[in-house]
Amino acid sequence: MTAATVEETHHVHATAGGGSPWRMLTRGGWIRAAWMTCLFGALGFGIVVLARWGGGWHPILATDPIVLVSLLVAAPLGFLAGLGAFDYWTYYALGGATRPEDHSGHGARSWKDYFRVNTDHKVIGMQYLVTTIFFFLIGGMLALLVRAELAKPGMQYFDNQTFNGLFSVHASLMIFLFIIPAFAGLANFVVPLMLGAPDMAFPRLNALSFWLLPIAGIMMVASFVVPGGAFACGWTGYVPLCSTHQPLGAVFFNQAVQWAGASSIMTALNFLVTIITMRAPGMTFWRMPLLVWANFTTSLLVVIATPFIAGSQFFSMFDHVMHTAFFDPAKGGYPLGYQHIFWFYSHPAVYIMMLPGFGIMSEVISVFSRKPVFGYRLMALSLMAIVVLGFSVWAHHMFVSGMASWLRVPMMITTLLIAVPTGIKIFSWLATMWEGKLHFNTPMLFALGFLSMFVIGGLSGVMLGAVPIDIHVSDTYFIVAHIHYVLFGGSVFTIFAGIYYWFPKMTGRMYDEKLGKLHFWLTFVGFNLTFFPMHIIGTQGMPRRVSDYAPKFADVNMFISIASFGLGASVLVFLYNMITSWRDGELAGSNPWRGMTLEWLVTSPPPVFNFDEIPQVVGSPYEYGVPGAQHAVLVPSKATEMEEVPV
Amino acid sequence: MRRGSILTLIAIGIVAGGIATAVAVLLPWLPEPASREAGRIHFVIWFVIVICIVIFAVVAAAIIYAVTHFRAAPDDLSDGPPIHGNTKLEIAWTLIPTVLVTAIAIVSAIVLSRNDAQGKDVLHVNVTAQQFAWSFSYPDAGGASSPILRLPKDRSVLLTLHAKDVIHSFWVPEFSQKEDTVPGLTTTLHITPDRLGTYAVICTELCGLGHALMRTTAVVMTPADFDKWLKSQKQASTTKG
Amino acid sequence: MTAITHDEAFGHDEHEHHGPPAAHYSSRISPGVLGMFLFIASEIMLFGSFFTAYFFVRVVNGTPWPTPPYHIPVQVATVNTFILMTSSATIHWATTAIKKGNTWGLRAGLLLTFLMGLSFLITQIFEYLRAGFNTSDGAFPTIFFCLTGLHGCHVFVGLSILLFMTIRAFRGHFSAEHHHGVEIGGIYWHFVDVMWIIVYMTVYIL
Ligand code: HEM
Ligand SMILES: [Cu+2]
Ligand SMILES: [Cu+2]
Repeated sequence: MTAATVEETHHVHATAGGGSPWRMLTRGGWIRAAWMTCLFGALGFGIVVLARWGGGWHPILATDPIVLVSLLVAAPLGFLAGLGAFDYWTYYALGGATRPEDHSGHGARSWKDYFRVNTDHKVIGMQYLVTTIFFFLIGGMLALLVRAELAKPGMQYFDNQTFNGLFSVHASLMIFLFIIPAFAGLANFVVPLMLGAPDMAFPRLNALSFWLLPIAGIMMVASFVVPGGAFACGWTGYVPLCSTHQPLGAVFFNQAVQWAGASSIMTALNFLVTIITMRAPGMTFWRMPLLVWANFTTSLLVVIATPFIAGSQFFSMFDHVMHTAFFDPAKGGYPLGYQHIFWFYSHPAVYIMMLPGFGIMSEVISVFSRKPVFGYRLMALSLMAIVVLGFSVWAHHMFVSGMASWLRVPMMITTLLIAVPTGIKIFSWLATMWEGKLHFNTPMLFALGFLSMFVIGGLSGVMLGAVPIDIHVSDTYFIVAHIHYVLFGGSVFTIFAGIYYWFPKMTGRMYDEKLGKLHFWLTFVGFNLTFFPMHIIGTQGMPRRVSDYAPKFADVNMFISIASFGLGASVLVFLYNMITSWRDGELAGSNPWRGMTLEWLVTSPPPVFNFDEIPQVVGSPYEYGVPGAQHAVLVPSKATEMEEVPV
Repeated sequence: MRRGSILTLIAIGIVAGGIATAVAVLLPWLPEPASREAGRIHFVIWFVIVICIVIFAVVAAAIIYAVTHFRAAPDDLSDGPPIHGNTKLEIAWTLIPTVLVTAIAIVSAIVLSRNDAQGKDVLHVNVTAQQFAWSFSYPDAGGASSPILRLPKDRSVLLTLHAKDVIHSFWVPEFSQKEDTVPGLTTTLHITPDRLGTYAVICTELCGLGHALMRTTAVVMTPADFDKWLKSQKQASTTKG
Repeated sequence: MTAITHDEAFGHDEHEHHGPPAAHYSSRISPGVLGMFLFIASEIMLFGSFFTAYFFVRVVNGTPWPTPPYHIPVQVATVNTFILMTSSATIHWATTAIKKGNTWGLRAGLLLTFLMGLSFLITQIFEYLRAGFNTSDGAFPTIFFCLTGLHGCHVFVGLSILLFMTIRAFRGHFSAEHHHGVEIGGIYWHFVDVMWIIVYMTVYIL
């Protein structure tokens, strides 16, 4: 089938349906979403009231359970149903004949198509990226408010509840609504292309996973307007502080994490199935680009670990709303249990936030050094090693928590060992650059920034892994410095690198290279000025998560706050560049970086179904410098000929 | 590689390492230790920092060298040499870090066990944390209690930590030792103060609105002064009771 | 690696197709089945987190099990266990039937399974109502309700799937060639049953 017919069929589907008022109300979309959200919210309210009335529990109109069931569970479900995320499944469940995929919800022809349930992985990837950058901006603004308060000792602008809410929501947004889903967005766009697949294995599930995210994000931000204020127990939500000593906002956090977690589990499952079952002919596991490997391993982590944070948030929430006794020692609960369960997810989560970035680095460094990735197999194996080891180190976050002290040394050993595969990756990237032909385009600058910053973060991680050191610096600004070196200098730099790298593929246009470089340098310098001094005040004795501090730290904190505003300003350059270049950047062509992986074989942006013929993979993805070598060729294959017939 | 470039590489490494060392030595990183445990912990910190500086220097040298020497002209469309790997190198950078982290683990484990080993004639102190205050009581002195932690110099002290409401964490930066206080659990912390002075006791676990201000002081006294103080406390508590 | 067309691989039954060229199919396992297995892996971990909570309360804290004065209604649960184990057999029967093209076997099997699952759930609800304790009555009731409740939710989801499968079976959507839905739903139901045995052993028997 030719691209033209595809376009045509689309057109027919899109305009079919007419515009009678009844259709407007019942057709999947924002109007139906509006009334179904209200309807489901009301149903949730009714169910709780009925159940409480039937069970004789007083008061019948208890705020906590009503808000939880009606606002945080039922209404979002109504929203999703209204938007049309469940349409096909409902139809199927009620016994409709199996419909062949009509692709009516696939692809985008106008900006409006980005605001509906769309099954095209490329559209979903963009939806993810724009949404996550939106929450990145909100999270960043919250961070600047935190820094404003901390510029001077004593209280300036906020009360303590607000201040604690600011850093809690900041961290939660950055982790659950920026870093994790931004990687999912990039991978959504790129992985099927790299595999030579027309889409993800379960496009409708993919669309649903995306639409869970705005729900989670709005829930976290909305907790600021809940009576009592936002949840103020840090992104870790330690109990019993978070379960029984917090206002209703804590439940918003618990539940938002569930929505975000569900989203990432479904996406990960989708990636795993796609990578296993939809590789192009010739694409063996050892020919997959490392980005695909990285998302494969990340997805394994997500599928296995994420249910644990779901569990931890259920328990904390039940303690809050149903007065259960998971973590209440007075009733026989065990407060440390929360930390074990939470970190059994959240340590793997730090790799969930890092491995996809490793994948991006391998692509970028190899392309801009014009050399094959050094030690490809060991690179893939070290990803697997990190996955396996990552499950055996969770208690390194609990060295001073009062847990059984015999656990400390074994957990220290595994923690330190995880530095080995991480080191392998760093050294291999260095060797990839060695004797290469380096081009310092913006993605490469961010890659180099990542390398240098991540080394510092990794080394401070090794320090933290050594129990005696951790005892001194745990819960101080040293930790704040460490997590920002690995998460900002690590993950965020790789996200920026990835966005710049695939920007031409996504939009068909080039970003402005000068502005890109300016963005990099502002970020790099601002980042170091902001976060490096935090190491020092941490070891000197400034604890984390405080609104006020000893006067001796005043100067450094003022310095950090000023630098942080510079860092914040650098994001404006990025935004300006993205928006203007998307509108009227130079046309990019299909392969501006002279890359070898499959996404560069198709036009920019790619055709609706990615490949008009199935690519045949013939070699490894990084054969730069090998004369005549190719990763894949596009030949009209037998399968496509077969397809020509029935239409 | 030519001799010249190896020399350049080493030179860059030395400069990078030198800068890192300067940052480590010249900036005031650690409070002056006031307990034997802190002394040992500082030893581990410096031990690991030396290793970190070496690794940092190696990586920095490689990056800087690559950036300065392998830069391609914008119109240079050629590729680099197709080197796919080097087994010896890969083994080396797997094994050397393994050895280094093993060394760190061994040193840490030794220090950890020595820091937890109690001396003779241990002084027991009960520490109770609640939102947002500390209180200390001395079972050896009939349970006399004080809002300030007073400790004798050079005597092994075992703190027994309790929390009344949520999790808090006891930390005196100069003692380096830290441990959470957990409701429903009893945790312990071992300290041997070895420098007279007054230090800040800080709560390092987010515990609610007053977390930032949940502070008190720890005073390390001469044993004679301490005994005198303890006796006066004992009398005060017996006359009261 | 064989080139199966997009439709076959993805369980689309009819053959009218326009849009992408057939996806190449790089694995012997079907995407639906693989997806279900991965989903179950995730579910096992969710149960794992609940069992971890159970471990902390019962083993680490040494909470008496059941904590007096409460009792666990073991007999009811034992009967329920038999019901659920039998339902595993009937769903198996249903899937083997449809593989041979026996649509009435499929319908009967699905219906029986559904009814047994439903009676399990109703029994469980009555058990809750008569338990004599509530979620806020301490650590033992907490764990009891949450583990059995989590499983109950899974029975509910399983029942919904069974219901949809039954509807589709009676509408004649399954045949010897196309029974993906039954197979995948069946895997989930087996999982629910196996999980119950573990919950039953840990909560009621041990
Ligand atoms: C060489 C590898 C690493 C080691 C050995 C390491 C070790 C540690 C340790 C021991 C802690 C606990 C500190 C404490 O709370 O007392 C910690 C905290 C943390 N690490 Fe790492 N880390 C490494 C890499 C990473 C990476 C790659 C990331 C994320 C991309 C990361 C993210 C974090 C975060 C977010 C925390 C703080 C959690 C909190 O809020 O308390 N780390 N790290
Ligand atoms: Cu960790
Ligand atoms: Cu505190």
